[in-house]
Amino acid sequence: MSETTFMGVPRDKIDWSPRIDYAKCNYCMDCVKFCPHQVYEVRETEERKLIVKNPVNCVVFCRACSKTCGLDALSFPEKNDTIVKIKTIRKEMEGA
Amino acid sequence: MSKNKQYVVLPCNGMDKAAGCVTRELALALTEQSGSEIICPVLFHVSDARYKKLAGDHPLLVIDGCPTRCASKLAVEKGLKVANKLTVTEEAKTNGIEIGKSLRLDDEGLRLVKTLTAALLRVDDVGESRQLAVKTIPADVEYEIYQKDKFIFRLPKSGFFFNENDCWVCVNGDTARVGVTDYLQQSASDVSFFNPPALGAKIEQFGTLGDIETSKALVEVVSPVTGKVVAINEALKNAPELINQDPYEKGWLAELKLTDFEKDKELLQDFAGYFPILKRKVDEFHVK
Repeated sequence: MSETTFMGVPRDKIDWSPRIDYAKCNYCMDCVKFCPHQVYEVRETEERKLIVKNPVNCVVFCRACSKTCGLDALSFPEKNDTIVKIKTIRKEMEGA
Repeated sequence: MSKNKQYVVLPCNGMDKAAGCVTRELALALTEQSGSEIICPVLFHVSDARYKKLAGDHPLLVIDGCPTRCASKLAVEKGLKVANKLTVTEEAKTNGIEIGKSLRLDDEGLRLVKTLTAALLRVDDVGESRQLAVKTIPADVEYEIYQKDKFIFRLPKSGFFFNENDCWVCVNGDTARVGVTDYLQQSASDVSFFNPPALGAKIEQFGTLGDIETSKALVEVVSPVTGKVVAINEALKNAPELINQDPYEKGWLAELKLTDFEKDKELLQDFAGYFPILKRKVDEFHVK
C-alpha cells in the first residue's frame, strides 16, 4: 500500500522515485528483491525487464535500493529540489 | 610522532571490476606501510580457521569495491566486528576521482589508493571534540507502546520530534541529539555497523547523517535537522547493536549544533503527530 501523504502533502504530488539507467542495468533484480514497497515490476518478456511501476509507493527521501546496485544504475531526484517543492505545496495548501 | 595505524584488512578483491581491483591495491598498500594483515575473502568464505583469530588481533577494516558490498556481507556472515569500512566507488566520488573501467589501475586509480591509504593510516587525534556529547536526553523517558502481533514499537511521549523517515531529534538549547526510531531499527533488523557523518560536517535537514548497515540493508539516516555535527556516539563503534537495543537513549547516533530549529520544526512531527504515522506504517508493513 502506498502512503497517501508525506509531510501533509499528497504523495502523488511529490516527484520522488528511482530512475533506472538502462544503459547500466544488468537486470540482476537486487533492487526488486530489496524494496518492500512494490515500487518495481519485473517484465521478463519485454526488452526492459524492469520498470518503476508504482512510483508513489516509494518512500520519500529513501534511496536504499540504489545502495544495493553494484552498477550504480539507479538515481533519485535532488533532495533539495524535492524539499523546496514540498514546502511550496504546503504553503499553497495553507493558503487554499 | 605516532606510528601508523594497523588493521586487519578484508577487501572484496573483486577482480572483474576496477573498483574491486582498487580494494586489492589498497589492502596491499596498507600492508606495506603499516604491517596490516590481509584476509583473503575467497579462502575466508570456505574456511574460518585461518582468519578468525587474526580478525581479533587488530581493528577490522572492510573494503568494498561497489555497493554490492560482498566484503561487508562476508563480515556479517562470519560474525566479525567491523571497526572501519569504506566503499571504493563512494570514496572515488567524494574525492572527485574517476577510476575508469580498466582492471589494471591507471594513474587516477593509483591516486585514489594513495589518498585513501594516507587517510586510513593517519592516527586519529581523538580529542575532546569526539566527546562533546551533552546530556540532551531527558532523565526518565516515558514511552507509549504500539503492539502488532509479537512486535512492540516504543515511542517517547515527550521531548522528541520526528521526521517521516523515522528519525528522531531531542533538543537542548542550540544542540540536538539525533537517532532512529524503534520502528526503523526493527524494520531494518540487526545493525552490524554505523557509518557516521564526519565531525564538523554541515548537514541539511533531510540530508544524510550517515548510514546504518544491517544484515538486510544499508539504511540512510535522514537528518531531522540542519546543523553541524559536533559529536558522534563512540559507543556504537564497539556496540552497534545499541541502536537495536535502545534506539532513543544509548543508541543515539550524533549530536548537532543547530542552525535554526524553529524552521526545522515546521517539517517535523511531535509525539501526537508521529504516533498515528507510526501505527499506519506498522499496519501497512507488517500485515501482508
